[in-house]
Amino acid sequence: MPRRFDQARPFFTLGLVLLVWLILPGVLKRFARLSFYELKAPVDLAASYVGDLQDFWSQKTRTNNELIVAARDLAAVNASYEFRMRDDARLRTEISRLEELLRLPSYGEFRSEPARVVRRDFNAWWQRIIVRKGSNHGILVGSPVVYSGGLAGRVVEVHATTSVVELISSPGLRLAAVFDGDDRPVSFQGGVNPPLRPAQGVLEFVPLDLFATSAAPRSLVTSGLGGIFPPGLIVGQVVQLEPSTDGLFKTGRVLIDERLGRITEVTVLVPIDPSVVNAPGEAAP
Amino acid sequence: MPVPRTNERSGTLIESHRGYDPRLWVFYGFVILLLGALASGLFYQQLLRTGIHLERETVQSQRRVVIPGPRGNLYDRDGRLLVGNRARFAVTLHLDELRTEFRHEFLRIRRNYREADDQNIPSAPELERIARISVVEGYLGRINRILGTQFQVNTETLERHYRQQRILPYLLLDDLQPAHYARLLEQLPVTSPLQLYTSSLRDYPHTSLAAHTLGYVAADDDVEVDETLPGSELRTFKMRGTVGRQGLEAALDPRLQGQSGGAIYRVNPAGYRLLPPLEQRRPVQGADVVTSLDLDLQLAAERTMTEMGLAGAAVALDVATGEVLVLASKPDYDLNSFTPRLTTAVNADIQARGAWMNRATQGLYPPGSTFKVLTSIAGLRSGHLHPDSSVECTGTYPVGGRVFVCNNHRDRGTITFPMALEKSCNTFFYDFGLKTGIDSLAAEARRFGLDRPTGIELPYEATRMFVPDPAWKLARRNESWFSGDTANVSIGQGDLALTPLQMACFIASFARNETLTHPTLLHDPDRPRQHSPATDLPLAGRAAMLAGMEAVTTTGTGRILQTDRFRVPGLRIAGKTGTAQKRTPAGTLNFAWFIGFAPIENPRIAIAIMMEGDTPGEDTGGGRYAAPVAGAIFKAWAAKTGRFTPPPPAAPSP
Repeated sequence: MPRRFDQARPFFTLGLVLLVWLILPGVLKRFARLSFYELKAPVDLAASYVGDLQDFWSQKTRTNNELIVAARDLAAVNASYEFRMRDDARLRTEISRLEELLRLPSYGEFRSEPARVVRRDFNAWWQRIIVRKGSNHGILVGSPVVYSGGLAGRVVEVHATTSVVELISSPGLRLAAVFDGDDRPVSFQGGVNPPLRPAQGVLEFVPLDLFATSAAPRSLVTSGLGGIFPPGLIVGQVVQLEPSTDGLFKTGRVLIDERLGRITEVTVLVPIDPSVVNAPGEAAP
Repeated sequence: MPVPRTNERSGTLIESHRGYDPRLWVFYGFVILLLGALASGLFYQQLLRTGIHLERETVQSQRRVVIPGPRGNLYDRDGRLLVGNRARFAVTLHLDELRTEFRHEFLRIRRNYREADDQNIPSAPELERIARISVVEGYLGRINRILGTQFQVNTETLERHYRQQRILPYLLLDDLQPAHYARLLEQLPVTSPLQLYTSSLRDYPHTSLAAHTLGYVAADDDVEVDETLPGSELRTFKMRGTVGRQGLEAALDPRLQGQSGGAIYRVNPAGYRLLPPLEQRRPVQGADVVTSLDLDLQLAAERTMTEMGLAGAAVALDVATGEVLVLASKPDYDLNSFTPRLTTAVNADIQARGAWMNRATQGLYPPGSTFKVLTSIAGLRSGHLHPDSSVECTGTYPVGGRVFVCNNHRDRGTITFPMALEKSCNTFFYDFGLKTGIDSLAAEARRFGLDRPTGIELPYEATRMFVPDPAWKLARRNESWFSGDTANVSIGQGDLALTPLQMACFIASFARNETLTHPTLLHDPDRPRQHSPATDLPLAGRAAMLAGMEAVTTTGTGRILQTDRFRVPGLRIAGKTGTAQKRTPAGTLNFAWFIGFAPIENPRIAIAIMMEGDTPGEDTGGGRYAAPVAGAIFKAWAAKTGRFTPPPPAAPSP
């Protein structure tokens, strides 16, 4: 065989593989992709666990005094949370009573599933995260995801042991929100956010009589009207509103909590009735 | 003939030609000429006609979509919204993003037919149509699942849209409820061909308030394209806009119309648009207009008119500037029923109730006894009437061969000039009207502009009003003028026909002691006081008139204004009631009138009210049916204006 052909053999093979991939049926491609993802998932999980172990050993280097102080602080925080939980339980009972009294439809029930963040998905410009829970834990596509700063996003892919969450800072996520204290739905959509910067979102269809500035921001919360997200979850702070040129509405800018950028722990709200969530991307019949 | 010869190298026979045949030069020249023609043609087409080809290519491959701008808002003089826009949420489907799905569905349906060995397989165009409907139904099914509804695809509109307006989004669902909009907002993927679309719909927060004045809009499929919008040479598709059809919406349409926006798209040979657009500009809302109307006064007038249960009109003017504070006409209609479109049933209902006409500007009515104010002015100016003039009223007054009757045929005794106004004594005005003469009466009416339209901004103002005189009667009816005609005109009867708006302008002019008032529906806080020729009334004459007109509202025919409901402490009102008769095929109908202004010492508001009697022969008096409407307006106006100093108490009698 001529030497020149031998040299070209890797390129030839690569070209052949690409050609085969191109003509492969879509079902096989999808199967291959999913298989590869599941095959790769343990590596991500292992890396995540190793990270946790690393944190553990770094904590072990702390002195006893430091740990005692931290434990004392934690106990204080726990106490305050316990108090809040009791308060929440009381308020929840009151809300249920009022809903029953007014014959209001109750919102869908959710089951909490805490999950650790494995990593950010750089394939989606860091606007997605992968969490360490999947279909094995009953996670459903479309489930809302919350964190300490409020609403984190929505589950868009579920694998056996991991799930992909689209963050609210992603332009691919849109929801019906309301201004805190108002009941008119407005459209919130993630903005085009460069990585490593505070995330922002875009508001549309805001009634003209609502106002917000960076000096007097207004809280934006989920409306509960859209059927996916329960009401009252904090989305962000509205820092700018200006009239749109059509004169019908205002458009605005929403600052999302900075903690979303370094999110490590989330809670997936899995609906007890799976029919209340709809998989995103299911628009096609 | 070429000569075959043997090739020396191969030894085979080949055909050879003798070179450099001079005749070949001709051929070469011909070829060069042809090539030159081709090259020059290429040069001409590619270099010299570049612009033309580029333009043709642009026109052929680009389309312009025009989106009308929302209309401007209308406000009352205090900045309160009278007409605005409300958002209309709709779901649209971009058919051009479904090309692949249409094709796949087409192939699937065709395969099914073939597998079923069905001999009645439809033609390819029919299959394509079925595929389109099937795909769109699938998308609508998705929406139905989200909303829990059962909407269905209108196949006719879908096909029409596909054939004619493929580049525009297809309106799948219109006028969504806020709850539905919220669900779709959250559950439709951002990248779906299904998109939430917002457009503006005219909104009238006070429904039927000032319906005839504000007017309404109708759909406009041929919206005016802003000249600065690029792509005028391109094939243009226009989204539906609105155009003013009546009232201020029509009169101020050029100001209210928004600036259209739009986008230019490149399209493929099948007419599908290619994203993103080459150029895009957002529509801009039209200019807002602050009207001179006063919401509180308009509400007060219309509420009382509704209580009266009669058709009619009410006009109130700012005496100094001529700005219209109230312009109401009953019966009316809910302006919101015109958007997005007027249904046949509503149209028939408005027609049946006779609500289309703006009675304030289009209705022509005999002014009745309110015209006695003008008769007084004419008499005073002609010198036949004096402040101390009086007449012995016996209840009847013979003119020529006819006997004219006074109000209620009552014997009133001696009637002075102020009393004549207060009691609206016909006998007094027959007498002095005849003495003044028709020429003076008609000239005075013309001097006050009662023979021509007022020129208000509203469209379709009546133009056939007239003040009769002998020349008119001769020309129109070929009849002579009789004294009876003058007597009739003296009390606002006969052939006199005026609009309530004209009477409002007349009384506003009189309040300023001038002769003309130009009404306007546009508010300008810096508008200067109107000026027109003075009435030239003797001071004593005017004082007598004012005394008589004040007495009308205190002890006379308009004394209802002193009841608890309408009385404003300290506010002195000059007024005149009237009850005009008009013969109709059904019988004689009465029209109740009231004109007046206040405060007498410094006139600021002038009012004219007319209420139509609806039963022939029924006494529909101005004091009973028209004065209350004026009273409600005066009271609402006084509540906004502030307190009035009550007149000093009468000195105790010795």
